[in-house]
Amino acid sequence: MAKKSDISKTISRRSILKAGALGSVAMSAPMFYAKNAWAESAIGNYPIEGDTVMLGFNVPQTGAYADEGADELRAYKLAVTHLNNGGGMLDTFKPSKLTGSGILGKKVDYVVGDTQTKADAARTSARRMIERDKIIMLTGGSSSGIAIAQQYLASEMGIIFMAGLTHSNDTTGKDKRRYGFRHFFNAEMTGIALSPILAETYGKERRAFHLTADYSWGHTQYDAMKRGTEAQGWTTVNNLMTPVGAPDFSQYLTEVLSSDADILVLNHYGKDMVNSLSQAVEFGMRELQKNGKTMEIVVPLFSRLMAQGAGSSKIQGVLGTTNWNWSLQDEGSQAFVKAFEAEYGFPPSMAAHTCYCQTLLYANACEVAGTFYPPEVIKALEGFEFDGMGNGKTLYRAEDHQCFKDILVVKGKSPADKTGEFDLLELVGTTPRETVTYDASIFGGELGPYEPA
Amino acid sequence: MEYVVSILKKFPLTVFALVILTMPFWFPWIGGYGGLATKIMIWALFALGFDILLGFTGYLSFGHAIFFGVSAYATGLMFKHFSDEIIPAMIVAVIVGTLASVIIGYLTLKKSGIYFSILTLAFGEMLHSSALSTFGGFTGGENGLTLPDMIPSMLGIEMRGEVMFYMTAAVLILGYYIARRISDSPFGLILKAIKSNQERLEYTGIDVQKYKLGAFVISAIYASVAGSLMVVYEPYVGTEYLRWSTSGNLVLMSVMGGVGTLIGPIIGAAFMLYFENVLSVPLGEEWLLVLGLIFMAIVIFLPGGFTDGFKLIYKKLIGKKPDGEEK
Amino acid sequence: MNYLFLQVLTGLQISALYMLIALGLTLIFGTLGVVNFAHGALFMLGAYFAVVISDAFGFSVALVSVPILLFIVGIILERGLIRFFYERSHTDQILVTFGLAIVIGEVLKTIYGANNLPFAKPSWGSGIVKLHEYLPFLEGFVAYPKWRLILVVVSFSTVAALFLLLQFTRFGLIVRAGMRDSQMLAFLGVNITRRFTIVFGIGAVIAAIAGLFGGPITQVEPELGMKLLIPSFLVVVVGGMGSLPGAVLASLLFGMALSFTAKYAEIQQIIIYLLAVVILLVRPRGLMGKKGLME
Repeated sequence: MAKKSDISKTISRRSILKAGALGSVAMSAPMFYAKNAWAESAIGNYPIEGDTVMLGFNVPQTGAYADEGADELRAYKLAVTHLNNGGGMLDTFKPSKLTGSGILGKKVDYVVGDTQTKADAARTSARRMIERDKIIMLTGGSSSGIAIAQQYLASEMGIIFMAGLTHSNDTTGKDKRRYGFRHFFNAEMTGIALSPILAETYGKERRAFHLTADYSWGHTQYDAMKRGTEAQGWTTVNNLMTPVGAPDFSQYLTEVLSSDADILVLNHYGKDMVNSLSQAVEFGMRELQKNGKTMEIVVPLFSRLMAQGAGSSKIQGVLGTTNWNWSLQDEGSQAFVKAFEAEYGFPPSMAAHTCYCQTLLYANACEVAGTFYPPEVIKALEGFEFDGMGNGKTLYRAEDHQCFKDILVVKGKSPADKTGEFDLLELVGTTPRETVTYDASIFGGELGPYEPA
Repeated sequence: MEYVVSILKKFPLTVFALVILTMPFWFPWIGGYGGLATKIMIWALFALGFDILLGFTGYLSFGHAIFFGVSAYATGLMFKHFSDEIIPAMIVAVIVGTLASVIIGYLTLKKSGIYFSILTLAFGEMLHSSALSTFGGFTGGENGLTLPDMIPSMLGIEMRGEVMFYMTAAVLILGYYIARRISDSPFGLILKAIKSNQERLEYTGIDVQKYKLGAFVISAIYASVAGSLMVVYEPYVGTEYLRWSTSGNLVLMSVMGGVGTLIGPIIGAAFMLYFENVLSVPLGEEWLLVLGLIFMAIVIFLPGGFTDGFKLIYKKLIGKKPDGEEK
Repeated sequence: MNYLFLQVLTGLQISALYMLIALGLTLIFGTLGVVNFAHGALFMLGAYFAVVISDAFGFSVALVSVPILLFIVGIILERGLIRFFYERSHTDQILVTFGLAIVIGEVLKTIYGANNLPFAKPSWGSGIVKLHEYLPFLEGFVAYPKWRLILVVVSFSTVAALFLLLQFTRFGLIVRAGMRDSQMLAFLGVNITRRFTIVFGIGAVIAAIAGLFGGPITQVEPELGMKLLIPSFLVVVVGGMGSLPGAVLASLLFGMALSFTAKYAEIQQIIIYLLAVVILLVRPRGLMGKKGLME
């Protein structure tokens, strides 16, 4: 109530102000709608006025992926510190034009938005950052549907979107956009990278049953795993779609039990995966004998946070792929992990890593282009090849804005092997970049023009 | 102060229109921005229509997202497959929304109380789940219905920025005018009588069912217009538009603002979106917790919502009772 | 045969958890006339208490202490908030408890994070039961998780205990009489208020049982309350508001429906809503609802 009376006071004060300053108010009106103020060379929030450059970090702070979001935000803040003051991967990333004193001489600042793990909310908070806070670049997201929704908005508004954690093929496939870029790997790469190692470990005569989260990421993941494993000689017995966020998977697991499958592939992510994996283990599926073989569970997309949620007794020996893990020993990873641990006291997640890299990659592209003008920055990112960011030699492919790099195949560590709370994944193999590179045209989609309509 | 209130009482519509139309001037001063202003108008329209059902008849629907969402999809599909002209798209969308409301209203309004609420909720969730899976081919599923490189236009005028804001504002003002007329009409009086005593009304020989359905369909038309405008404003349809949380938010807004006052739900919608997108920033991750507490406090201490709060403050300020209810 | 048996067992087991949550919900509604949207949050609170206490002191300590804790929480909630809403409309009750559910969820998120806490089952409850060793009509090898069978037993025992309490004790008699006409009872000098407080506490205890035995299955995370609230609420309404046998029947129906449609995603995802719509349209007060309640 106190708040309300305050507002009414300020309003009456303002109405007096308003009467006195009608002229300046009229001036401010066009600023309200930045779009109408576009001059010919102006796109989005370019040109930047003043000596700071504003970045927008749109992460889930509430909802199912809030923990991933919190970790992404930590990484973004670290990236801003490093861009302004040097340190972290700035020392290992090459070829780099980053100076450690901002971007193009401007100090880097940021604003934060909450996607609430919902596409519509993500777009509204992105709009706030674009329209009010005048961000030049938008980044974040912890789910493909949300990343895609933001990517379209950003493209319409002429703001470059550097996607965070999104693994669906659609993001750089049928929904690819000129203004959207993805450093993270995708379902297709998982399928290509994981299948040979699966066949090697479990044999070529296997019958797989899939449980798939019923949304775009799940569908592309299932499709990629089916093609990948069938190419290795496996048979796909069945696939059941499961609703997102299901607390109980027993009815699907009953179907798996009643089938003659000897492999269970869980195309789930986040809590769904933790739940389905825990319950599959509960149903005894890792001890069961089927077709004379021990039944095995596969989790195509693995992350340390998920492994933590499930507990190492359940994930031990389970195979999957991951974009990055903090235990990697290369220079770039070490520099990032050290800086992150010094700041926050624990190692970063793969979501944090991809967000950190994306911020640096954008900043560097501006330096290379010598301007913040989006079309030039986009051109600087397209076809950019770099190293020293923890994934070896990496290429930002021009045709679909997807990063291509070596893919890590990991396995859950057993409780006995792990050396600490965060030591949950063990590297079992790396599939080289050349192997996972696929034809950019297979998913269709159009990047669209360099200058938005 | 008294003078201000008397103006408010005499020319409610004029004052309302003035506040809305000057929004581009004053809203940025409190941290607002263009996109949010337009979104507030759209949700205000949605909540305003909802008040004709909840506020007048007392029927608590947990499924109004259906009409918002169905109309949004219809608009999106029209843009995608027909043209980017908004007039045909909006007409089709409102027809689709209205048809849906006639069917669902006919089936659910025979029930009352919690049974009605749960039935509408069940219908809503059924549609939401189907949009995600069965009709994923049409709706784009979880990715939403995306409309690349398309700018909706009316008679060739591009609907964005200021143009879109003023168009939406005009629709809201018109909607508010119509809602007030309905409120004062014999039809509105019967609706309010349904809330206070449905049985007695039935004894007088009035076909209550017809009136309830009327209120339900009118509120659904408001929802459809709002849903359609949402897609004009942003050429994108998310499956959340159909989700129960959209209906839930609508209820929260209405209650926070003050049910049955028409202006209350509009204030509630503005408050909630403003809170979610502006005040939430300094609050960080805890904003939802704060919103939950505010909401609880309102239900406990201010059952009439903000509008009741204004009346109380007014009473304190001038030291006497406000004369009667507002119109 | 094996397949059919497994499907029925799974259906039974899905309904066990719905039943536990719906039981508390419908008990509180039937006696106090309060629509408690925070009941899912109480269940979640039970699960959080259970996982935290069981991690620190073992499951047996949790088994004893969590119901007591939730009973206290229930009493505080009833005395501090709910009783002020007995005379308010159902809409207000829904709204205030809905707000409470958001607050509880957000507080838990702030303390324990948004990801789930792994809930380790006690050693006596983990592993599988080889059913074919006990049931001769099953062919070959049929196993089911022991914990889920325990959940079914616990759930049905709780139902039985509640029935016995309400049917055959003096306390139950007074509460049932209070449901009919609380004013009359007050005139007769019975302290119905205190008994109503206890009923709310019992509802919370049932939520605690659900949290203790359901938590290891569903995982413990801050959105759990909301996820289970809507289906449980549908169970209550479909069963008939305030009817305990109705809630049992409806949860069995939902459980079986979910189990038998697992293969057909399009139907599976809407089946409980579809059932709710059809049943409510055909039987306006749900399966066993009383006339005049909540209309």
